[in-house]
Amino acid sequence: MPRAEHIHAPPLIGLLRSASGRFALFFTAFFAAAATAAAVILWWNTAGALERQVDAAIRADAAALTDRRRMPTVEALAVAIEDRLALDVQNEALYLLLAPDGAKLAGNLEAWPSEANAEQPWIRMPLLRDGLVSEARILRLDMSGGYRLLVGRDVAEKLRLRGLLSEGIAWAASASAAIALFGAWGLRRALERRLSPVYGTAKEIAAGNLSRRVPLSDRDDEFDRLGRIMNAMLDRIAQLMEGVRGVSDAIAHDLRTPIARARAKLEEALDGARDEAALRAAVEQGIADLDGIARVFQAVLRIAEVEAGARRAAFAPIDLAPALADAAELYGAAAEARDQKLVSDLPTSLPLVGDRDLLMQAVANLLDNALKFTPDGGTVRLSAELSPVLVEIAVADDGPGLPQEDRARAGERFFRADAARSTPGSGLGLSLVRAVAALHGGTVTLGDTNPEAERPGLTVTLRLPVG
Amino acid sequence: MRLPVALLPLMLATPVQGETPLRVTTDSSAYCGELAARVSNQPGARQEVVRNLAEEGQRLCDTGHVRTGIAKLRRALRAAQGMGG
Repeated sequence: MPRAEHIHAPPLIGLLRSASGRFALFFTAFFAAAATAAAVILWWNTAGALERQVDAAIRADAAALTDRRRMPTVEALAVAIEDRLALDVQNEALYLLLAPDGAKLAGNLEAWPSEANAEQPWIRMPLLRDGLVSEARILRLDMSGGYRLLVGRDVAEKLRLRGLLSEGIAWAASASAAIALFGAWGLRRALERRLSPVYGTAKEIAAGNLSRRVPLSDRDDEFDRLGRIMNAMLDRIAQLMEGVRGVSDAIAHDLRTPIARARAKLEEALDGARDEAALRAAVEQGIADLDGIARVFQAVLRIAEVEAGARRAAFAPIDLAPALADAAELYGAAAEARDQKLVSDLPTSLPLVGDRDLLMQAVANLLDNALKFTPDGGTVRLSAELSPVLVEIAVADDGPGLPQEDRARAGERFFRADAARSTPGSGLGLSLVRAVAALHGGTVTLGDTNPEAERPGLTVTLRLPVG
Repeated sequence: MRLPVALLPLMLATPVQGETPLRVTTDSSAYCGELAARVSNQPGARQEVVRNLAEEGQRLCDTGHVRTGIAKLRRALRAAQGMGG
């Protein structure tokens, strides 16, 4: 049996590697920090306050006894200490008054501790009472005449209270940690559950099922927005792939006919040419046919180049009016040859930012189409208008027009309406116009020239932004 | 219920100095007698409340409950001083 090659990371590393795990850990750390801050504040306001209270009581007591020492004899101080001890119902007070020679004069402490000789006047010491060790907080006072006094309190009760508080905080911290971990686990699970449709969709698409889309919930949250964007992206990819497939099919289909025709002509000439001149004419015709095929390829490549946006770098501020006037003159001559009329209505200036060659190629394609579909004696109209934000160029003919259902497909590569099958052309002209318009951030719309007429004609309007 | 709670107070409290504990001399039968004598010397010692507290304190001291007895005697002394003043 083959062994699995997959190496599992330790759980903590696995958790850190996943974004949801990191969010969860961040949540736990944040929660722990908040709980710690709450515990510190609680401690400061309870146990801390008790300690400060004890210190304040000792300080006040010491100040009162220091006043007593100002009396002529030290006995007054000794009596005050004994009185205080006699009235100490809480049994917390601790005193020791020593004479300069070390003799005990008053107080309830057995001996002077060596720790009380340290530089710090405040000390904390263990205290033995009834065989139980508690704690004493003591202040040392060095008095005039070499007398020394210790004033303190038994803080056993405070310690007990502090112990209870510590236990409470520890329990609360444990509960908080458990809740934080549970919350982190829940957060991670929720994130993974919400992301699993995205994973699933991506996995199926990677496996080749391109029709799969991310299922959306009715919550309209961030994950639904992500799902919608992914679906839109997948739709766009599918559309582009469909387009590529369509173009490949169209190239194969539309070029097969002229190639077959050229081949048939050459074969016919080879078999039936009566003299060298007839053979030569057939070869020339074959070359012309192949040139036509090469032109189609060139047009396809040019459209691809325009759609890729590579020409955007050549954009520059231009005035389209003189170029349109030149085109009108050039195509006007061609129109006259067929008894057609080309009427132009152009402003003196049409400033915009773009690629002059591409725009003129687009206009030339429109004029070429219009003249091709306009009957002899008909009229083609080239007009342009400038508004503050748009340049609008329209080419109108009075040909047969284009049925409504064909207009949406009119920009597709190699698309030719049924009525146009007999007219020479490759079905790429309007594709290039659309690609050029899209490159400039503009649009192309198709409409009837005379909607009421039997032959409604076609008006193609190219709208381009000025800036 | 014993959690490792000792950590918290240990971290937050000032360290306790010294290893030899201090001893208190006022938790003894001798101090009981000293307090009883103080009470009886007070002007309000004959009051019933004072007398009861002092007697109870003395009895507790005699039966070995020294600290409780001392607390009673101290209360008796307070009461006597309050009444005598």
